[in-house]
Amino acid sequence: MEPSMPQQTSPGLAESAKPPKSQSPWALARRKFLRNKIAMISLVFLLIVCVMSVLAEPLTMPVEETAKINLTQMSKEPSAEHFFGTDKSGRDVFARTLHGGKTSLLLAFSITSAVIAIGTLVGAAAGFFGGWVDNALMRFTDFMMNFPFLLFVIVLKSIFIESSTGTLIFVISVISWTGTARLVRSKVMAEKENEYIMSAISIGSSSPKIIFKHLLPNVMSTIIVQATITLAAMIVAETALSFLGFGVPINIPTWGNMLQEARSPDVLTSKWWIWIPPAAILTLTILSINFIGEGLKDAFNPKSNR
Amino acid sequence: MLQYTIRRLIGMIPIIFLISVVVFTLAKLMPGDALSGKIDPLNSDPEYIEEMREKMGLNDPIPAQYVRWMSGVVKGDFGDSFIHKRPVMELIGDRLPNTIVLGLTALVITYILAFLMGRYSGRFAYSFGDYIISAFNYLGLAIPSFVAALVAIYIFAIHLGWVPASGSIGSGVEAGTFEYYLSKAKHTILPALVLGTMATAAYTQFLRNDMIESSRKDYVRTARAKGTKESAIYNKHILRNSIIPIVTLLGFDIANLFGGAIITETIFTYPGIGYLFVESVNSRDYSVMMAITMMLTILTLIGNLIADLLYGLVDPRIRLS
Repeated sequence: MEPSMPQQTSPGLAESAKPPKSQSPWALARRKFLRNKIAMISLVFLLIVCVMSVLAEPLTMPVEETAKINLTQMSKEPSAEHFFGTDKSGRDVFARTLHGGKTSLLLAFSITSAVIAIGTLVGAAAGFFGGWVDNALMRFTDFMMNFPFLLFVIVLKSIFIESSTGTLIFVISVISWTGTARLVRSKVMAEKENEYIMSAISIGSSSPKIIFKHLLPNVMSTIIVQATITLAAMIVAETALSFLGFGVPINIPTWGNMLQEARSPDVLTSKWWIWIPPAAILTLTILSINFIGEGLKDAFNPKSNR
Repeated sequence: MLQYTIRRLIGMIPIIFLISVVVFTLAKLMPGDALSGKIDPLNSDPEYIEEMREKMGLNDPIPAQYVRWMSGVVKGDFGDSFIHKRPVMELIGDRLPNTIVLGLTALVITYILAFLMGRYSGRFAYSFGDYIISAFNYLGLAIPSFVAALVAIYIFAIHLGWVPASGSIGSGVEAGTFEYYLSKAKHTILPALVLGTMATAAYTQFLRNDMIESSRKDYVRTARAKGTKESAIYNKHILRNSIIPIVTLLGFDIANLFGGAIITETIFTYPGIGYLFVESVNSRDYSVMMAITMMLTILTLIGNLIADLLYGLVDPRIRLS
């Protein structure tokens, strides 16, 4: 036994050895997440993609320019002038990829917000009130779950003659909230059994106040993880629908609309620069969102100790 | 079990009724009607059109039209396709075998791949091979199926030229001959591979995690203590227990395969149900669209029932009630 042991420990070590009693679950989760290398790299990548998409106009050209057909610049290979070359109508692929990212990501974020909001409200109401409210809401949720996703989005979408991004957001949100509602309901039901909810009820807090101030903050970690999963799924949904021709109007650049060009054999065979860039960025974006979701799940899980 | 199944099937009837109301309402909300596809462009006389509308019952009140449609559906008659000028059921009957062949091939590919990869990953968890497989899984979860299909066509059909890029049968091949089946297999394998491989990730992960969990259980320790060979422990004891939960996923897959086929079939222009659906929506062929929507929704219901039944079947601790 060396008596000089305590003096040898470095100050950094001593600091981390402090009892973490002052840390909130959120701070703990944040620390765990920041230490997760893959999740952090993914987050940085996603941020870069988002920032570049948002800054699409100052970085390249206005949206109107990207739609302009330029007959002198048709199907040019990548060069210093056009980083990713030009497509069959002479439009710059790099500019379109950035603008496409803006539309695709904005759509995915909007749909995710709507889906999470509807799902959380329905789930929280069903879980908190129980009884006939729960019964009615959950029967309705189960009923909505029977409809195959892609099929019904396409059917709903074709009702609207004037297709815009707004109708697409509406149509996808209407169908996709069910999973979130079920998840939130089960979490709320478990959380409701705690004493603090009992005491909140017994001192006469109103139901909305209990739900929003006490219940939801405590199931927030689940909702956040669910939101990341939804975000990835919605990017896929939007691009797949646009690819099939049921999504965003074709004149607006999105990753799905750009990939639609690859449906012509000529582009797919010999003009790789038209479809590989959106395909690659799309896949990498979804991959990074998945990693972030996994990292968050891990960070919020008190049992994991990474 | 039988009682439970019958009860569930009876419980489905009101749901199917509600679904039919929803499908019919949606179809009615769509722009244009059954007639718009039938009008002869050379004879667009308003009087004639009005006469046709009257004849087809399109001027009847909506509930009456619903009852007429539904009474046909109950008898398995979904009306005629306006584009193909044939009964819808005949048309679907033509395309359905293609989708079933594609779906089953994809399912077999999924199960084989997931079984092999999951078994390896579960046994050699945290090894180099396990990391490769989980990297593959992450990629599989991230790549949208239509991107995977494009890449697959680019590599295997165009650059390597091993298989054709579209269709379900070569031209000029006579039905029933050996060449016919060979051509069919060649056309099916690429879409099936794409559809099947993309679905493996969830299964592989499931099997892997279950095997890791099982390997810590007491019965495994007992087997080790008895001196059972490591390979026998994994192949006979653990695998047998871990493979069971995967079977239950089959029910959910039935509906998923048909739904997923919409994208894959469209890209490969593979003449199945999914492609027919996209065609019918594009050409506003409502009777076909309604029939496919009804069919696939009911299929989802049945798939969920099968999943529940299988669950009770393989795990006797779960009481179905």
